[in-house]
Amino acid sequence: MRAADRLVKRTIRHSGPWLYVLAFTSVAGALMELALPFVLGRTVDSLVAADSASPVWLGTCAAVVLLIAACEVFGVWASGSGGARATQWLRLRLLRHVLGVGPAMTRRFPEGELVTRLGVNAEEVGRGPESIVTGATLVIPTAGGVVALVLIDPWLALTLLAGLTLIGLVLRAFLRTTTSIAGDYQSAQGDIATRLVDALAGARTIAAAGTEDRERARVLTALPRLRLHAMEMWRANARAGVRAGAVVPLLEVAVLGVGGLRLAAGDLSAGELYAAARYVVLGAGLGAALGHVSRLGRARAAAGRLVELAEEPQTAYGALPLPAGPGALELRGVTAGVLTGIDLVVPGGSSVAVVGRSGAGKSLLAALAGRLVDPDAGQVSLDGVPLPELSSEALGEAVGYAFERPVLIGETVADAVGLGLGDPTEAMEITVRAAARAACADDFVRRLPLGYGTPLEEAPMSGGERQRIGLARAFAHGRRLLVLDDATSSLDTVTEHRVSRALAGELGGRTRLIVAHRVATAAAADRVIWLDGGRVRAYDTHTTLWRDPGYRAVFQVSGHDRAGLPPLDESLSSPLGAGAS
Amino acid sequence: MRDRRHAAAPGQAGPYRAVRAALLRDPRLLLRLGAWSVAETAPALVVGLAVARAIDEGFAAGRPGLGFAWLALLGGAWLTAAVGARQVVVAVGSIVEPFREELLDHVVDGTLRRSAAAGHGPGAAAVARSNLQVELARDALASVITVVRSFAFTVVSVVLGLTTLMPQVLVLVLPPFVVGLCLFLLSLPALARRQRDFIVADERTAGALAAMAGGLRDIAACRAGDRVAADVGRQVARQARAGRSLARVTAMRTASLAVGGWLPVLLILAGAPWLVRHGAGAGVILGALVYVTQSLAPALGNLVQGLGMSGVRLRVTLERVLRSGEPPRPVTARSVPRDAAVELRGVTFAYGPHAEAVISDLDLSVPDGDHVAVVGPSGIGKSTLAALVTGLLRPDSGRVTVGGVPAERVDQASRVLIPQEAYVFRGTLMENLTYLAAAPKPAVEDAVTALGLTSLVARLGGYSAEIHAGLLSPGERQLVALARAYLTPARLVILDEATCHLDPAAEALAEEAFARRDGTLLVVAHRLTSATRARRILVMDGASVQLGRHEELLASCPPYADLAGLWNPSDSQELVP
Repeated sequence: MRAADRLVKRTIRHSGPWLYVLAFTSVAGALMELALPFVLGRTVDSLVAADSASPVWLGTCAAVVLLIAACEVFGVWASGSGGARATQWLRLRLLRHVLGVGPAMTRRFPEGELVTRLGVNAEEVGRGPESIVTGATLVIPTAGGVVALVLIDPWLALTLLAGLTLIGLVLRAFLRTTTSIAGDYQSAQGDIATRLVDALAGARTIAAAGTEDRERARVLTALPRLRLHAMEMWRANARAGVRAGAVVPLLEVAVLGVGGLRLAAGDLSAGELYAAARYVVLGAGLGAALGHVSRLGRARAAAGRLVELAEEPQTAYGALPLPAGPGALELRGVTAGVLTGIDLVVPGGSSVAVVGRSGAGKSLLAALAGRLVDPDAGQVSLDGVPLPELSSEALGEAVGYAFERPVLIGETVADAVGLGLGDPTEAMEITVRAAARAACADDFVRRLPLGYGTPLEEAPMSGGERQRIGLARAFAHGRRLLVLDDATSSLDTVTEHRVSRALAGELGGRTRLIVAHRVATAAAADRVIWLDGGRVRAYDTHTTLWRDPGYRAVFQVSGHDRAGLPPLDESLSSPLGAGAS
Repeated sequence: MRDRRHAAAPGQAGPYRAVRAALLRDPRLLLRLGAWSVAETAPALVVGLAVARAIDEGFAAGRPGLGFAWLALLGGAWLTAAVGARQVVVAVGSIVEPFREELLDHVVDGTLRRSAAAGHGPGAAAVARSNLQVELARDALASVITVVRSFAFTVVSVVLGLTTLMPQVLVLVLPPFVVGLCLFLLSLPALARRQRDFIVADERTAGALAAMAGGLRDIAACRAGDRVAADVGRQVARQARAGRSLARVTAMRTASLAVGGWLPVLLILAGAPWLVRHGAGAGVILGALVYVTQSLAPALGNLVQGLGMSGVRLRVTLERVLRSGEPPRPVTARSVPRDAAVELRGVTFAYGPHAEAVISDLDLSVPDGDHVAVVGPSGIGKSTLAALVTGLLRPDSGRVTVGGVPAERVDQASRVLIPQEAYVFRGTLMENLTYLAAAPKPAVEDAVTALGLTSLVARLGGYSAEIHAGLLSPGERQLVALARAYLTPARLVILDEATCHLDPAAEALAEEAFARRDGTLLVVAHRLTSATRARRILVMDGASVQLGRHEELLASCPPYADLAGLWNPSDSQELVP
């Protein structure tokens, strides 16, 4: 937690001058708020008595009120601006760090978790300084109110404390009842959402059958139940809120009664009686002050979660450019995860398929080849340069990756293909289109509403289309080495055939490492790396390997493995699957 | 269920109309709300008066009994308020719950219709998002009703109370209060703008962060970290700017609160000697202060807070929910075609004005009773063709007719489309099977036998078994959809890769069952075997389209020969040299 505290402290420093403004206005405002009932009471007493000191009291009163208003205005400004500034600093810093760590980050933190930490948690820490100041200064009027009451009459203070306990009990009872009602309510909501999602999956069927009205009625079946539970929640809200809300005014009335007796006895002035009533209200604010303490606790916990992100080591890049070369890939004594002692040389410009049963380490080998992952031991080099010595730019230009499920990033389709290639220029546009053509994506992209300029969110794509964009992106990047990790699994046979032709033809000069499940892909490659149990079992031509029944079995078993994958892939591999069964 | 189509009025109106409609739906509720509001604001009416009289006529005058009586009145007012507040919350709930239902109905209806028109729906995340928007809109409306109403009733009560206490005080209290209120109302548009910008920027930041977190592997693979950091960083900075600018305007709003809430206090004190000359005691001045500090200023503060936050939130969320506007309405004038002959004449279709045509100048004539298979690589426009024939899409030029009737006006029961993604909903197996047309049990059993669902029916435990999509494999879902289509009287059946999750034997059984059925069968083929079963085959390959029999096409159509060579399942093992 000490690292978390350090982060909160650094955040405080980065809130800038606003934090000092906030601290000053909070303390000053709190003191003035505490002073006001007393000053007001005195002023009224002096005015009614036509005291000669009354102008002084009136002036004091005006000053106090003015200060309170000014402190409020500047406090609101400072807390909003300071929080925004601190949050921005935190977010930018973590953002660069997370991107620097790369995919290793998602191995430790699920995506949703990352978003929460960078989003909500960063905000909580960013508002941390404000919580500290506001929480600390809230104690002044509340504790001060109680003290002032004690000074006026200890019994009044005791009455106040009893009342506060009562509010606490009421709120606790409220929390207990709402959780069960909220559960029913959420289940009714969930029912509607689930049915809607179901119906949307059948959009084409519904459209063709013209059954939209029936579907609407079906989706909204739970509406009466939802209303029932919602009204229960409103009633529960009403009960608790009202009970809690009536306590403070009734306490105030009680204090006025007791104070009134003292006034009648001449022990108290009318102004003091008024002040006592106001101090009851201030003192009852203690609960809110405690709420601020819990906000500070949340900020600390959130800081702890951010520190965990910052502790992940970033990927360090070298400074070397890539020397001239054909794209020869070499792995020497590489050990990482399931892979042990891998020694391989992939000659520049050749195509090599990687096959093996699931869990053999195919994707890991693919990730090692272009430095998406660093090995635990051993060395991977491209044209004689160890990958860690290459600059990020050199790697980006040399290696292109295509995945089974590519995630497309960017505003438009063109952005997604040219991601990381630099600012859009005419030359880049040509590269993007050529890559898209090679990946058989050009045809369908040009049929999108705005062609290459279609925003990604307005271009719904099937798994196969997405893979084609992913392939185009790889082709646009990897001038020397292309790594295809099961990147054609969702393509229909014809399209896959065309992509293979492009890989062998116009892209033939580049080194190609292709993780494959289909026999045809392995057969088309110059050589095949056969992985088994984390080791290279054989590295030879497909024709030679095919004589080994164990090698043939890899493809049959992989057909069964694929049954576990989402149906789309299974169905699209059916031409082969049908043959095998 | 009653017809809610007219109830979905918010669709045609802006946020204001939607809110007004929600308020005026049941005037009795408003009356009830008003009556209980009077009770809820009872303390605002008596608080200053009770304090003043309790001091001046009670305790200070040596008559504690009278003082206690006034305080008892005040306590009674607070208890009345407690009862009133409770009823107010329930009344507000009764107003906003129907409002939420209408919004939800609007969202569900619009999403369904738009998805139906587009042929695909948004994902579960988008559904969750729009549900959240509806929830936020409801809460915001409740909060706006609560504060605006409470403000109005409190102001009236305080004015009445002050008039009873000492009318001269009104001269000191009302002018600064009105000025403060006006200042706030003047700052409201700017505040609303900033608040709205902030909400939007916040959502965009969350979206950008989520996209980044989901794409870390791909960003690293493209070494695009710096570029993405810059992009997301810009969004983060934009949000921070929106936050700072909101803080500035909120500070100004707070200033208007100071004018309306604190200035009356100072004026009462400054005017105290004048009030005393008119017979005011200490109690009256304290009572006036109590009215201002305990009722008027908090009511103004709540109004400022409530309108400034919830009001803006209500507008933004309502605009989101209603933005999509009126969803496309189904064609009402449909007619029954004379037969199931399909004709396409010069049909051209593109997905947008700047998009390249998917289908251009296509002529196709499928006589009644024909069996045609459509083949070609994915994304070439086969499903688009199916959608054009079904009338789900309209050609940009040319004509598509079924039995002489334009496709989009064909009676929906006369043709049936089974898409690749089979629709199975929560309900019994029987409800799912008879979704498109009611059918007696023997007919259902015939269909089940013909299409090979017998073992599935047995596994599920009969026709009355409750099913949902997750319970069935993709292939089983397709079987249910096929049996459902088989049971309709439709003479035109369009199978759009409807058997892609079935094994070849099951696919053959299903297609043969449909082929035996009376009428026209159009099959978008997934495997070449589907094509060989058809009487004629339509080959789509980019610009060229050819129609013919299998043997003819093998000889005359190189793309088809190419396809056939790749497609033949028996080749798969022989690809090995």
